[in-house]
Amino acid sequence: MRFMVIVKASKNSEAGMMPSEKLLAEMGKFNEELTKAGVMLAAEGLQASSNGARVKFSGNKRTVIDGPFAETKELVAGFWIWQCKSLKEAIDWVKRCPNPMPGEEAEIEIRQVFEAEDFAAKFAPEHRKEAERIYKQSSRQQ
Amino acid sequence: MRFMVIVKAGKDCEAGKLPSKEFMAAMGKYNEELAKAGVLLALEGLAPMSEGARVKFASKKPVVTDGPFPESKELVGGFWLWKCNSKQEAIEWLKRAPFEDAEIELRQVHEPEDFAENFTRALREQEPRARETAEARP
Repeated sequence: MRFMVIVKASKNSEAGMMPSEKLLAEMGKFNEELTKAGVMLAAEGLQASSNGARVKFSGNKRTVIDGPFAETKELVAGFWIWQCKSLKEAIDWVKRCPNPMPGEEAEIEIRQVFEAEDFAAKFAPEHRKEAERIYKQSSRQQ
Repeated sequence: MRFMVIVKAGKDCEAGKLPSKEFMAAMGKYNEELAKAGVLLALEGLAPMSEGARVKFASKKPVVTDGPFPESKELVGGFWLWKCNSKQEAIEWLKRAPFEDAEIELRQVHEPEDFAENFTRALREQEPRARETAEARP
């Protein structure tokens, strides 16, 4: 199973404050452990939402809203994609993670990534093959 | 420049309702165009929050809470990673997406250079190594 592990933003991350050398070293060590264990698939950090934008879709209309966005605690600051055997294994790895926002309250969210089979499983048995094909085609999964 | 394009989870999405065949086909075509233009780097959809969890770091010990979280309005439903020459180019691509009622967020992804000041030489060596190992996997 693959999991997306989302680090939520904080006041400091939204202020564009970069992680300290200490946190980078601790995080680097944690990432190396994830890699050695075969858990790590990808990792990215995001710039503050002030460098971002939102596009609102309503019928044929598109409205662009420039950042920053106010709901700091709901914003994504970074993420990993992990390969784990269960949600429990992913939770156990997160518990070992250094606090990503030192001196602040931090929250990490663990979400299961959809595979084509999960999508297909929601259909009646006779339609599953077709559903899997459509999902793979639309998401370009091989 | 790389951008993360975040699709929020709607009520239907969180209830496990599936998108229509027409929407899936339109999305397939759009993804094809992104790929042909060399914009598409990755894309994933997420399962509802009921199959996830949150871990809070406030004191010494992390605290785990299982999903779902009905109060949350800003759950991630899925995302793309794009490579574009500018934020404007990313916005133009996003405007062409086949959504009818949605709010999509565009965020710039950090590159290793962004951390330069606090990135010691040791870390610089560590990071590509971890990436290479991770990328070598299918």
